[in-house]
Amino acid sequence: MKNGPLFFLGVFAALGFSWAGIVLGSNAQLATLPAFYDSTDSQAFPRRPSGLANQGQLVYRGLNCAACHTQQVRRPDFGSDQARGWGNRQSVARDYIYQNYVQLGEFRIGPDLTNLAGRKPSAPDAGDLMNLLYTGQGAMPAYSFLFENRKIVGQESSRALKLTGLLRPPAGREIVPTRRAEALVSYLLSLNTFYDYPESKPAPAPKEEAHK
Amino acid sequence: MTSAQPQTSPLDETAVEAAGRDPLVLLVGSALAWLLVSGALALVASIQLHTPAFMAGCSLLNYGHTRALQETAFIYGWVANVGLGLALWILGRLGGHPLRAANWVMVGAVFWNLGVTVGLVGIAVGDATSLPRLEMPGYAQPLLLAAYGAIGVAGVLAWTDRRRPVLFAAQWYAVASLFLFPWIFSVAQVMLVWVPVHGVLQAIVEGWFAQSLWTLWMAPLGLAGAYYVIPKVTGRVLPAYDLASLGFWCLLFIGGWTGGRHLIGGPVPAWISTIAIVTSAILLSHYLIVFLNLRAAYRGGGAALAFIAFGVTAYVVGGFVDAATAMRVIAVRTQFTFFDEAQQQLAVYGGVSMMLLGTLYYALPRLTGRPWASARLLSWHLVLSFLGLVLLVVTLAAAGVVQGGDLNHAQASFATIAADTRPWLRSASAAQGILLLGNCLLAVNFARTVGCGRIRVVKEALTS
Repeated sequence: MKNGPLFFLGVFAALGFSWAGIVLGSNAQLATLPAFYDSTDSQAFPRRPSGLANQGQLVYRGLNCAACHTQQVRRPDFGSDQARGWGNRQSVARDYIYQNYVQLGEFRIGPDLTNLAGRKPSAPDAGDLMNLLYTGQGAMPAYSFLFENRKIVGQESSRALKLTGLLRPPAGREIVPTRRAEALVSYLLSLNTFYDYPESKPAPAPKEEAHK
Repeated sequence: MTSAQPQTSPLDETAVEAAGRDPLVLLVGSALAWLLVSGALALVASIQLHTPAFMAGCSLLNYGHTRALQETAFIYGWVANVGLGLALWILGRLGGHPLRAANWVMVGAVFWNLGVTVGLVGIAVGDATSLPRLEMPGYAQPLLLAAYGAIGVAGVLAWTDRRRPVLFAAQWYAVASLFLFPWIFSVAQVMLVWVPVHGVLQAIVEGWFAQSLWTLWMAPLGLAGAYYVIPKVTGRVLPAYDLASLGFWCLLFIGGWTGGRHLIGGPVPAWISTIAIVTSAILLSHYLIVFLNLRAAYRGGGAALAFIAFGVTAYVVGGFVDAATAMRVIAVRTQFTFFDEAQQQLAVYGGVSMMLLGTLYYALPRLTGRPWASARLLSWHLVLSFLGLVLLVVTLAAAGVVQGGDLNHAQASFATIAADTRPWLRSASAAQGILLLGNCLLAVNFARTVGCGRIRVVKEALTS
């Protein structure tokens, strides 16, 4: 390695090699992945998230929720994702095409959220999620700073949290979600992968070959 | 252990040192400050894992933030500052010229640290990107890139001015890491933060970035130090040195391909994780060669080599663990668990960071012209680092195995998982405390070493 320029070229070629392979390669494969048009339903899937949900994703991203929650359901023979009721099919690339900032996540300190709003038999509703965010549960801390504890002026707000027991605010006060909490919950409720794309159906099991 | 180096006096101080002293000491000093910051944040994040209510009411320091802050402070604060400082020092020494453009390094160092500060504040107030290793908000990143460019000027000049045509392994690694970082970083910035790519491509680019940042920047920074210090201290040519260039090119060409390990089973094309499995196995040849070359560190020769020997061990073991967990049968148990965290700590802290610490222990006396102020603080730092790291990696790995087993049982609720992992996570917090304490000792030792030098200089200036 006495030749300086050649060494230099080699170093950049090394970087370019993996960049071209991984980044350009996958880009060529996925960059133009379109929505799937279902002719019987006459609509395309996935649906675009609402504006509020997109704002909520920024809150999710800013709070780094992905430090504990993944958003990817793996196939049935790989982990217990589907047995836990996180989704009834594996996640595919098409699920994410309208997400501005994809949050696959690297850790599962909490449950997966891919299909939070489409969980069966009972998906959480906005009230459940608000209460969960406000109070925390198990390993999940309370995100009380996303809420406002304020004095009731006139009538109680229709957005006030319905809390019971010790968490109930003293008389004359109410806990109201801030704009960030509302956006976040709207985003969480948009997480739904109910539609089965052709590529998300499990491959047909290989037929057992006749015993020879 | 009375002295860190075999020949403390005269410390072969050359003109190289005199020219680059101030900026390099600034880089090292700010690195140590960030090491303490990230240590404190790591402790908070670790406590939050087993006691979720800890600091939860503080919007700046919820777990998502502390984790991102800790990682950012560690990588962009500690590893970057100390790694760049030492890489420049090595390039200057091996090039045989006094370090030029020292003022550029000074300005670059100031703005780099400013950039990291802006990034950390940005994360804390909720502008984080939630991309692993790239959590800093978009507005902090151009500043970092520009500051890095200023620091890099000295590297370019040291390279073009080199007197000796022969390139040493330490030089290859230092040059490669210095010059590849801006490319990796700016590609990630553009493709993930400024104009994010489409859908899951973000996860793929992110995987490539995180892996390249590790294999093409952090690992070479650590290896540059190890490849420089070991032959200096032992006074011999490294064993199997002919293989070193193969090891180097293997890391460079193969490293970036292994990033898909974390995407196994995910909604990405299957070839990405398959290639990662294959390349992780090929990369083992790099780790083997590094081990063959650097096993000379085990012969012993003071604290610097002890740190480096630990670093080499952790680095090589980390490589093998990476290859093992890339396999689908093992990944199904370790994916998404604390085991990943243990792996990362093993490689980044146990491997690279320890090599950098060893290099720092060797370099600083030569840079300042004074031996380390306290041999006792040094040996305590060594003991606490070894203890803390082993404890941290073992407890996190155990927590990960328990968590992985539980996650695969659909009946185990998250409350059960939390209860099962809690004892291990508590021990991990203790380990973080030990590491923080050790690093405080290093900081005190550094301050005393450098501070005494300053006082001497001032006295001389007054008397003359």
